[in-house]
Amino acid sequence: MRCDLDGRVAFVTGAAGAIGSAIAKKLADSNGAVVIADINLDGAEALAATLPNALAVRVDIRDAGAVEAAVAATLERFGRLDILVNNAGVNTFAHRVTIDQFPAEEWERITSIDLDGLYLMSRAALQPMLAGGGGRIVNIASVVGMAAMRLQSAFVAAKAGIIHLTRAMALELGPRGIAVNAIAPGSIMTEGTRKLFYGADGTFAGRTAEFMQHIPLGRPGTPEEVAEAVLFLSSPAAAYISGQLLPVDGGWTAGFSV
Amino acid sequence: MAMRDIEIDLAGTRFDFLGSSRLLGDAIADALRQNGGVAATADEASLIVALHPLGPQAEAADLLPDLQRHGERFAAGLGGRLVLVLSAAASVPMRRHPAHSANAAMAWAGMRTLAMALAPKVLVNAVGAGFVEEAGQVLAGDPVMPGHAGLQRPGRVADLVNAVLFLADPANTYTTGQLLNVDGGWTVGYGRNF
Repeated sequence: MRCDLDGRVAFVTGAAGAIGSAIAKKLADSNGAVVIADINLDGAEALAATLPNALAVRVDIRDAGAVEAAVAATLERFGRLDILVNNAGVNTFAHRVTIDQFPAEEWERITSIDLDGLYLMSRAALQPMLAGGGGRIVNIASVVGMAAMRLQSAFVAAKAGIIHLTRAMALELGPRGIAVNAIAPGSIMTEGTRKLFYGADGTFAGRTAEFMQHIPLGRPGTPEEVAEAVLFLSSPAAAYISGQLLPVDGGWTAGFSV
Repeated sequence: MAMRDIEIDLAGTRFDFLGSSRLLGDAIADALRQNGGVAATADEASLIVALHPLGPQAEAADLLPDLQRHGERFAAGLGGRLVLVLSAAASVPMRRHPAHSANAAMAWAGMRTLAMALAPKVLVNAVGAGFVEEAGQVLAGDPVMPGHAGLQRPGRVADLVNAVLFLADPANTYTTGQLLNVDGGWTVGYGRNF
Protein backbone atom coordinates (compact mmCIF):
# COMPACT_ATOMS: atom_id res chain seq x y z
CA MET A 1 0.00 0.00 0.00
CA ARG A 2 0.94 3.60 -0.44
CA CYS A 3 -0.19 6.38 1.87
CA ASP A 4 0.99 9.82 2.87
CA LEU A 5 1.89 10.29 6.53
CA ASP A 6 2.34 13.97 5.68
CA GLY A 7 5.35 14.52 7.93
CA ARG A 8 3.83 12.89 10.99
CA VAL A 9 6.47 11.95 13.54
CA ALA A 10 6.78 8.26 14.38
CA PHE A 11 8.80 6.92 17.31
CA VAL A 12 9.83 3.29 16.76
CA THR A 13 11.41 1.27 19.58
CA GLY A 14 13.76 -1.60 18.82
CA ALA A 15 14.20 0.16 15.48
CA ALA A 16 17.72 -1.16 14.84
CA GLY A 17 16.44 -4.75 14.83
CA ALA A 18 15.12 -6.68 11.84
CA ILE A 19 11.42 -5.97 12.27
CA GLY A 20 11.95 -2.50 13.76
CA SER A 21 14.16 -1.34 10.90
CA ALA A 22 11.64 -2.62 8.33
CA ILE A 23 8.93 -0.63 10.15
CA ALA A 24 11.08 2.51 10.32
CA LYS A 25 11.92 2.29 6.60
CA LYS A 26 8.29 1.76 5.64
CA LEU A 27 7.12 4.77 7.66
CA ALA A 28 9.94 6.90 6.26
CA ASP A 29 9.05 5.81 2.70
CA SER A 30 5.51 7.05 3.37
CA ASN A 31 6.66 10.57 4.21
CA GLY A 32 6.91 10.10 7.96
CA ALA A 33 9.65 11.58 10.14
CA VAL A 34 11.06 8.69 12.16
CA VAL A 35 12.80 8.40 15.51
CA ILE A 36 15.03 5.33 15.44
CA ALA A 37 15.07 4.34 19.10
CA ASP A 38 17.17 1.39 20.21
CA ILE A 39 19.44 0.26 23.01
CA ASN A 40 22.01 -0.24 20.24
CA LEU A 41 22.92 3.35 19.29
CA ASP A 42 25.40 2.36 16.57
CA GLY A 43 22.72 0.35 14.81
CA ALA A 44 20.19 3.16 15.22
CA GLU A 45 22.60 5.74 13.81
CA ALA A 46 23.52 3.52 10.86
CA LEU A 47 19.84 3.16 9.92
CA ALA A 48 19.00 6.84 10.52
CA ALA A 49 21.81 7.84 8.15
CA THR A 50 20.02 6.03 5.31
CA LEU A 51 16.64 7.74 5.84
CA PRO A 52 15.65 11.24 4.72
CA ASN A 53 14.22 12.58 7.99
CA ALA A 54 15.28 10.45 10.93
CA LEU A 55 16.76 10.86 14.39
CA ALA A 56 18.67 8.10 16.18
CA VAL A 57 18.34 7.89 19.97
CA ARG A 58 19.69 5.37 22.46
CA VAL A 59 17.03 4.21 24.87
CA ASP A 60 16.68 1.37 27.34
CA ILE A 61 12.90 1.20 27.72
CA ARG A 62 13.25 -0.27 31.23
CA ASP A 63 14.62 3.10 32.33
CA ALA A 64 11.89 5.72 32.85
CA GLY A 65 14.42 8.57 32.79
CA ALA A 66 15.97 7.40 29.51
CA VAL A 67 12.52 7.01 27.96
CA GLU A 68 11.53 10.55 28.92
CA ALA A 69 14.83 11.90 27.62
CA ALA A 70 14.25 10.17 24.28
CA VAL A 71 10.80 11.74 23.99
CA ALA A 72 12.30 15.13 24.88
CA ALA A 73 14.94 14.67 22.15
CA THR A 74 12.12 13.87 19.71
CA LEU A 75 10.27 17.07 20.56
CA GLU A 76 13.46 19.10 20.35
CA ARG A 77 14.16 17.82 16.84
CA PHE A 78 10.66 17.51 15.37
CA GLY A 79 8.40 19.52 17.72
CA ARG A 80 5.75 16.79 17.94
CA LEU A 81 5.11 13.09 18.29
CA ASP A 82 2.18 11.51 16.43
CA ILE A 83 2.80 7.77 16.18
CA LEU A 84 4.39 5.37 18.67
CA VAL A 85 5.36 1.89 17.52
CA ASN A 86 6.17 -0.25 20.57
CA ASN A 87 8.27 -2.82 18.79
CA ALA A 88 11.16 -3.49 21.21
CA GLY A 89 10.96 -6.91 22.77
CA VAL A 90 12.97 -9.96 23.73
CA ASN A 91 12.39 -13.68 24.17
CA THR A 92 14.56 -16.35 25.67
CA PHE A 93 17.02 -18.40 23.64
CA ALA A 94 19.16 -20.00 26.34
CA HIS A 95 16.33 -21.04 28.65
CA ARG A 96 13.76 -23.00 26.63
CA VAL A 97 12.43 -24.74 29.74
CA THR A 98 9.07 -25.27 31.47
CA ILE A 99 7.92 -22.81 34.11
CA ASP A 100 8.98 -24.96 37.08
CA GLN A 101 12.57 -24.52 35.83
CA PHE A 102 12.28 -20.98 34.46
CA PRO A 103 14.96 -18.72 36.00
CA ALA A 104 13.63 -15.71 37.89
CA GLU A 105 16.25 -13.39 36.35
CA GLU A 106 15.18 -14.43 32.87
CA TRP A 107 11.50 -13.86 33.75
CA GLU A 108 12.38 -10.40 35.06
CA ARG A 109 14.51 -9.52 32.02
CA ILE A 110 11.79 -10.49 29.54
CA THR A 111 8.75 -9.01 31.27
CA SER A 112 10.60 -5.81 32.22
CA ILE A 113 11.36 -5.11 28.57
CA ASP A 114 8.34 -6.56 26.79
CA LEU A 115 5.58 -5.36 29.13
CA ASP A 116 6.91 -2.84 31.67
CA GLY A 117 8.98 -1.09 29.00
CA LEU A 118 5.96 -0.77 26.75
CA TYR A 119 4.06 0.89 29.60
CA LEU A 120 6.88 3.35 30.37
CA MET A 121 7.31 4.19 26.69
CA SER A 122 3.58 4.69 26.11
CA ARG A 123 3.16 6.87 29.19
CA ALA A 124 5.98 9.18 28.11
CA ALA A 125 4.93 9.38 24.44
CA LEU A 126 1.31 10.06 25.33
CA GLN A 127 2.12 13.42 26.90
CA PRO A 128 2.97 15.18 23.60
CA MET A 129 0.35 13.12 21.70
CA LEU A 130 -2.43 14.26 24.02
CA ALA A 131 -1.13 17.82 23.95
CA GLY A 132 -1.19 17.66 20.16
CA GLY A 133 -4.80 16.49 20.08
CA GLY A 134 -4.39 12.89 18.96
CA GLY A 135 -2.19 10.13 17.67
CA ARG A 136 -1.65 6.44 17.11
CA ILE A 137 -0.02 3.66 19.04
CA VAL A 138 0.83 0.34 17.41
CA ASN A 139 2.00 -2.38 19.79
CA ILE A 140 3.92 -5.35 18.45
CA ALA A 141 2.56 -8.37 20.30
CA SER A 142 2.91 -11.98 19.13
CA VAL A 143 0.74 -14.95 18.19
CA VAL A 144 1.95 -16.59 21.41
CA GLY A 145 -0.04 -13.93 23.27
CA MET A 146 -3.16 -15.41 21.61
CA ALA A 147 -2.39 -19.13 21.53
CA ALA A 148 -0.08 -20.26 24.32
CA MET A 149 3.07 -22.24 23.63
CA ARG A 150 5.46 -24.26 25.76
CA LEU A 151 8.99 -23.34 26.91
CA GLN A 152 8.63 -19.56 26.79
CA SER A 153 6.26 -18.71 29.64
CA ALA A 154 7.60 -15.20 30.32
CA PHE A 155 7.27 -14.18 26.67
CA VAL A 156 3.80 -15.74 26.41
CA ALA A 157 2.61 -13.87 29.51
CA ALA A 158 4.15 -10.55 28.48
CA LYS A 159 2.68 -10.71 24.97
CA ALA A 160 -0.79 -11.61 26.26
CA GLY A 161 -0.42 -8.65 28.61
CA ILE A 162 0.38 -6.37 25.67
CA ILE A 163 -2.74 -7.51 23.81
CA HIS A 164 -5.10 -6.80 26.67
CA LEU A 165 -3.31 -3.58 27.60
CA THR A 166 -3.88 -2.49 23.99
CA ARG A 167 -7.62 -2.88 24.53
CA ALA A 168 -7.61 -0.97 27.83
CA MET A 169 -5.56 1.82 26.27
CA ALA A 170 -7.97 1.99 23.32
CA LEU A 171 -10.92 2.49 25.67
CA GLU A 172 -9.13 5.10 27.76
CA LEU A 173 -7.53 7.07 24.95
CA GLY A 174 -10.15 6.83 22.18
CA PRO A 175 -12.24 9.68 23.55
CA ARG A 176 -9.07 11.79 23.49
CA GLY A 177 -8.33 11.13 19.84
CA ILE A 178 -5.81 8.32 20.11
CA ALA A 179 -6.29 4.93 18.47
CA VAL A 180 -4.32 2.02 19.89
CA ASN A 181 -3.92 -1.31 18.08
CA ALA A 182 -1.68 -4.34 18.17
CA ILE A 183 -0.09 -6.57 15.58
CA ALA A 184 0.64 -10.21 16.31
CA PRO A 185 3.50 -11.41 14.14
CA GLY A 186 3.77 -15.14 13.70
CA SER A 187 7.15 -16.69 12.98
CA ILE A 188 9.18 -14.03 11.20
CA MET A 189 12.52 -14.76 9.54
CA THR A 190 15.10 -12.88 11.62
CA GLU A 191 18.49 -13.61 13.11
CA GLY A 192 16.72 -14.80 16.26
CA THR A 193 14.41 -17.30 14.56
CA ARG A 194 17.35 -18.56 12.48
CA LYS A 195 19.10 -19.44 15.74
CA LEU A 196 16.02 -21.35 16.86
CA PHE A 197 14.33 -22.83 13.81
CA TYR A 198 15.59 -21.94 10.39
CA GLY A 199 19.38 -22.20 10.61
CA ALA A 200 21.13 -25.54 10.00
CA ASP A 201 22.45 -25.50 13.59
CA GLY A 202 19.32 -23.98 15.16
CA THR A 203 18.01 -25.22 18.52
CA PHE A 204 15.04 -26.87 16.81
CA ALA A 205 16.70 -27.52 13.45
CA GLY A 206 15.30 -30.58 11.70
CA ARG A 207 11.81 -29.87 12.99
CA THR A 208 11.03 -26.96 10.66
CA ALA A 209 8.72 -29.02 8.43
CA GLU A 210 6.73 -30.15 11.46
CA PHE A 211 6.45 -26.54 12.63
CA MET A 212 5.38 -25.29 9.18
CA GLN A 213 2.43 -27.71 9.13
CA HIS A 214 0.78 -25.36 11.62
CA ILE A 215 1.17 -22.35 9.34
CA PRO A 216 -1.25 -22.47 6.39
CA LEU A 217 1.00 -20.34 4.20
CA GLY A 218 3.80 -22.84 4.92
CA ARG A 219 6.62 -20.37 5.41
CA PRO A 220 7.87 -17.81 7.92
CA GLY A 221 6.92 -14.19 7.31
CA THR A 222 9.29 -11.33 6.53
CA PRO A 223 9.88 -8.15 8.54
CA GLU A 224 8.50 -6.19 5.56
CA GLU A 225 5.19 -8.04 5.82
CA VAL A 226 4.88 -6.95 9.45
CA ALA A 227 5.83 -3.39 8.50
CA GLU A 228 3.04 -3.27 5.92
CA ALA A 229 0.47 -3.81 8.68
CA VAL A 230 2.13 -1.22 10.94
CA LEU A 231 1.93 1.34 8.14
CA PHE A 232 -1.79 0.65 7.63
CA LEU A 233 -2.61 1.00 11.33
CA SER A 234 -0.51 4.21 11.51
CA SER A 235 -2.20 5.74 8.48
CA PRO A 236 -5.24 7.99 8.07
CA ALA A 237 -6.94 4.99 6.38
CA ALA A 238 -7.27 3.23 9.73
CA ALA A 239 -8.89 6.13 11.60
CA TYR A 240 -11.87 4.07 12.89
CA ILE A 241 -9.87 1.02 13.95
CA SER A 242 -8.94 0.84 17.63
CA GLY A 243 -8.27 -1.82 20.24
CA GLN A 244 -7.82 -4.42 17.54
CA LEU A 245 -5.30 -7.19 17.21
CA LEU A 246 -4.17 -7.89 13.67
CA PRO A 247 -2.20 -11.11 13.27
CA VAL A 248 0.42 -11.22 10.50
CA ASP A 249 1.06 -14.89 10.88
CA GLY A 250 0.47 -16.79 7.66
CA GLY A 251 -2.84 -18.02 9.03
CA TRP A 252 -1.31 -19.68 12.11
CA THR A 253 -4.05 -18.42 14.46
CA ALA A 254 -6.92 -18.98 12.00
CA GLY A 255 -7.42 -22.33 13.74
CA PHE A 256 -5.72 -25.69 14.15
CA SER A 257 -4.36 -26.76 10.79
CA VAL A 258 -3.22 -30.15 12.08
CA MET B 1 -4.80 15.79 -6.74
CA ALA B 2 -4.33 14.85 -3.11
CA MET B 3 -3.47 11.25 -2.39
CA ARG B 4 -6.34 9.13 -1.13
CA ASP B 5 -6.07 7.69 2.39
CA ILE B 6 -4.64 4.50 0.96
CA GLU B 7 -3.60 3.47 -2.53
CA ILE B 8 -2.94 -0.07 -3.66
CA ASP B 9 -1.96 -1.47 -7.04
CA LEU B 10 -4.41 -4.12 -8.21
CA ALA B 11 -2.79 -4.08 -11.67
CA GLY B 12 -5.87 -5.20 -13.58
CA THR B 13 -7.08 -7.75 -11.01
CA ARG B 14 -10.64 -8.80 -11.87
CA PHE B 15 -13.06 -8.48 -8.98
CA ASP B 16 -16.69 -9.20 -8.20
CA PHE B 17 -19.12 -9.14 -5.26
CA LEU B 18 -21.27 -11.64 -3.52
CA GLY B 19 -24.22 -10.56 -1.41
CA SER B 20 -26.04 -7.26 -1.35
CA SER B 21 -25.72 -3.74 0.03
CA ARG B 22 -25.93 -1.34 -2.83
CA LEU B 23 -24.31 1.71 -1.28
CA LEU B 24 -21.42 -0.15 0.31
CA GLY B 25 -20.94 -2.39 -2.73
CA ASP B 26 -20.81 0.63 -5.05
CA ALA B 27 -18.30 2.39 -2.79
CA ILE B 28 -16.05 -0.67 -2.68
CA ALA B 29 -16.32 -1.16 -6.46
CA ASP B 30 -15.37 2.48 -7.07
CA ALA B 31 -12.37 2.13 -4.77
CA LEU B 32 -11.21 -1.11 -6.38
CA ARG B 33 -11.49 0.47 -9.85
CA GLN B 34 -9.56 3.59 -8.71
CA ASN B 35 -6.81 1.24 -7.53
CA GLY B 36 -6.45 -0.66 -10.78
CA GLY B 37 -9.14 -3.33 -10.35
CA VAL B 38 -11.46 -4.34 -13.19
CA ALA B 39 -15.08 -5.35 -12.54
CA ALA B 40 -15.87 -8.84 -13.83
CA THR B 41 -18.23 -11.71 -13.22
CA ALA B 42 -17.51 -13.92 -10.22
CA ASP B 43 -16.40 -16.73 -12.52
CA GLU B 44 -13.75 -14.50 -14.13
CA ALA B 45 -12.64 -12.75 -10.95
CA SER B 46 -9.62 -13.53 -8.78
CA LEU B 47 -10.69 -11.13 -6.03
CA ILE B 48 -14.11 -11.59 -4.50
CA VAL B 49 -15.53 -9.26 -1.88
CA ALA B 50 -18.49 -10.82 -0.10
CA LEU B 51 -20.91 -8.57 1.74
CA HIS B 52 -22.52 -10.50 4.54
CA PRO B 53 -25.69 -9.08 6.16
CA LEU B 54 -24.42 -6.17 8.27
CA GLY B 55 -27.49 -5.01 10.13
CA PRO B 56 -29.49 -6.77 12.87
CA GLN B 57 -32.59 -6.35 10.73
CA ALA B 58 -31.07 -7.89 7.61
CA GLU B 59 -32.07 -11.35 6.53
CA ALA B 60 -29.59 -14.09 7.38
CA ALA B 61 -27.46 -15.39 4.54
CA ASP B 62 -24.88 -18.07 3.98
CA LEU B 63 -22.29 -16.97 1.45
CA LEU B 64 -19.81 -19.65 2.44
CA PRO B 65 -20.72 -22.28 -0.18
CA ASP B 66 -20.20 -19.73 -2.96
CA LEU B 67 -16.98 -18.46 -1.37
CA GLN B 68 -15.73 -22.00 -1.09
CA ARG B 69 -16.52 -22.76 -4.73
CA HIS B 70 -14.70 -19.68 -5.99
CA GLY B 71 -11.85 -20.15 -3.52
CA GLU B 72 -11.29 -23.72 -4.69
CA ARG B 73 -11.18 -22.45 -8.27
CA PHE B 74 -8.52 -19.88 -7.24
CA ALA B 75 -6.55 -22.54 -5.37
CA ALA B 76 -6.56 -24.83 -8.42
CA GLY B 77 -5.41 -21.97 -10.65
CA LEU B 78 -3.32 -18.88 -10.18
CA GLY B 79 -4.51 -18.03 -6.66
CA GLY B 80 -6.64 -15.18 -5.47
CA ARG B 81 -8.22 -13.32 -2.60
CA LEU B 82 -11.47 -13.52 -0.71
CA VAL B 83 -12.49 -10.60 1.50
CA LEU B 84 -15.62 -10.99 3.57
CA VAL B 85 -17.33 -7.97 5.11
CA LEU B 86 -19.38 -9.10 8.08
CA SER B 87 -20.80 -7.70 11.30
CA ALA B 88 -18.46 -7.13 14.25
CA ALA B 89 -21.17 -8.95 16.23
CA ALA B 90 -19.35 -12.06 14.93
CA SER B 91 -16.83 -11.60 17.73
CA VAL B 92 -19.09 -10.13 20.45
CA PRO B 93 -22.66 -11.47 20.38
CA MET B 94 -25.46 -9.02 21.23
CA ARG B 95 -28.30 -10.02 23.57
CA ARG B 96 -30.88 -8.17 21.51
CA HIS B 97 -29.74 -9.67 18.20
CA PRO B 98 -29.32 -13.42 18.69
CA ALA B 99 -29.92 -14.58 15.11
CA HIS B 100 -27.77 -11.84 13.61
CA SER B 101 -24.93 -12.57 16.06
CA ALA B 102 -25.07 -16.29 15.33
CA ASN B 103 -25.14 -15.79 11.57
CA ALA B 104 -22.15 -13.45 11.72
CA ALA B 105 -20.21 -15.84 13.99
CA MET B 106 -20.89 -18.70 11.56
CA ALA B 107 -19.48 -16.63 8.71
CA TRP B 108 -16.41 -15.80 10.80
CA ALA B 109 -15.68 -19.43 11.66
CA GLY B 110 -16.29 -20.45 8.05
CA MET B 111 -13.92 -17.75 6.81
CA ARG B 112 -11.19 -19.09 9.12
CA THR B 113 -11.56 -22.68 7.96
CA LEU B 114 -11.56 -21.56 4.32
CA ALA B 115 -8.31 -19.67 4.93
CA MET B 116 -6.65 -22.84 6.22
CA ALA B 117 -8.10 -25.05 3.50
CA LEU B 118 -7.27 -22.74 0.59
CA ALA B 119 -3.73 -21.73 1.64
CA PRO B 120 -1.15 -20.95 0.41
CA LYS B 121 -2.41 -19.68 -2.97
CA VAL B 122 -5.55 -18.00 -1.65
CA LEU B 123 -5.72 -15.48 1.17
CA VAL B 124 -9.04 -15.19 3.00
CA ASN B 125 -9.77 -12.39 5.48
CA ALA B 126 -12.67 -10.42 6.88
CA VAL B 127 -13.56 -6.88 7.86
CA GLY B 128 -15.90 -6.61 10.86
CA ALA B 129 -18.24 -3.64 10.63
CA GLY B 130 -19.41 -1.83 13.74
CA PHE B 131 -22.03 0.90 13.54
CA VAL B 132 -21.74 2.58 10.15
CA GLU B 133 -23.87 5.54 9.18
CA GLU B 134 -23.58 7.68 6.06
CA ALA B 135 -25.82 10.61 5.14
CA GLY B 136 -28.39 9.62 7.75
CA GLN B 137 -28.60 6.06 6.48
CA VAL B 138 -27.58 3.17 8.77
CA LEU B 139 -25.49 0.70 6.77
CA ALA B 140 -24.22 -1.60 9.49
CA GLY B 141 -24.55 -2.40 13.15
CA ASP B 142 -26.62 -0.93 15.93
CA PRO B 143 -26.66 2.71 17.11
CA VAL B 144 -25.81 1.58 20.67
CA MET B 145 -22.34 0.45 19.58
CA PRO B 146 -20.41 3.76 19.81
CA GLY B 147 -21.48 4.00 23.47
CA HIS B 148 -19.08 1.17 24.28
CA ALA B 149 -16.40 2.14 21.79
CA GLY B 150 -13.20 4.08 22.40
CA LEU B 151 -13.79 6.20 19.29
CA GLN B 152 -17.24 7.55 20.07
CA ARG B 153 -18.55 8.25 16.59
CA PRO B 154 -20.21 6.16 13.90
CA GLY B 155 -18.00 4.59 11.28
CA ARG B 156 -18.18 5.85 7.70
CA VAL B 157 -18.27 3.93 4.44
CA ALA B 158 -14.71 5.09 3.75
CA ASP B 159 -13.50 3.41 6.95
CA LEU B 160 -14.78 0.04 5.71
CA VAL B 161 -13.57 0.61 2.17
CA ASN B 162 -10.03 1.41 3.38
CA ALA B 163 -9.89 -1.85 5.35
CA VAL B 164 -11.11 -3.83 2.34
CA LEU B 165 -8.36 -2.23 0.23
CA PHE B 166 -5.75 -3.16 2.83
CA LEU B 167 -6.85 -6.80 2.83
CA ALA B 168 -7.10 -6.85 -0.98
CA ASP B 169 -3.64 -5.33 -1.45
CA PRO B 170 -1.34 -7.66 -3.43
CA ALA B 171 1.55 -6.29 -1.30
CA ASN B 172 -0.13 -7.57 1.89
CA THR B 173 0.91 -11.20 1.77
CA TYR B 174 1.19 -12.82 5.21
CA THR B 175 -2.22 -12.25 6.81
CA THR B 176 -4.90 -14.86 6.24
CA GLY B 177 -7.85 -16.19 8.24
CA GLN B 178 -8.14 -12.96 10.21
CA LEU B 179 -10.97 -10.64 11.15
CA LEU B 180 -10.13 -6.95 11.36
CA ASN B 181 -12.91 -5.11 13.15
CA VAL B 182 -13.52 -1.56 11.99
CA ASP B 183 -15.75 -0.57 14.85
CA GLY B 184 -14.08 2.25 16.79
CA GLY B 185 -13.17 -0.30 19.44
CA TRP B 186 -16.68 -1.62 20.18
CA THR B 187 -15.50 -5.24 20.45
CA VAL B 188 -12.68 -4.34 22.83
CA GLY B 189 -14.34 -4.24 26.25
CA TYR B 190 -16.56 -2.07 28.41
CA GLY B 191 -16.57 1.61 27.65
CA ARG B 192 -17.50 2.71 31.15
CA ASN B 193 -15.61 4.72 33.77
CA PHE B 194 -15.40 2.39 36.72
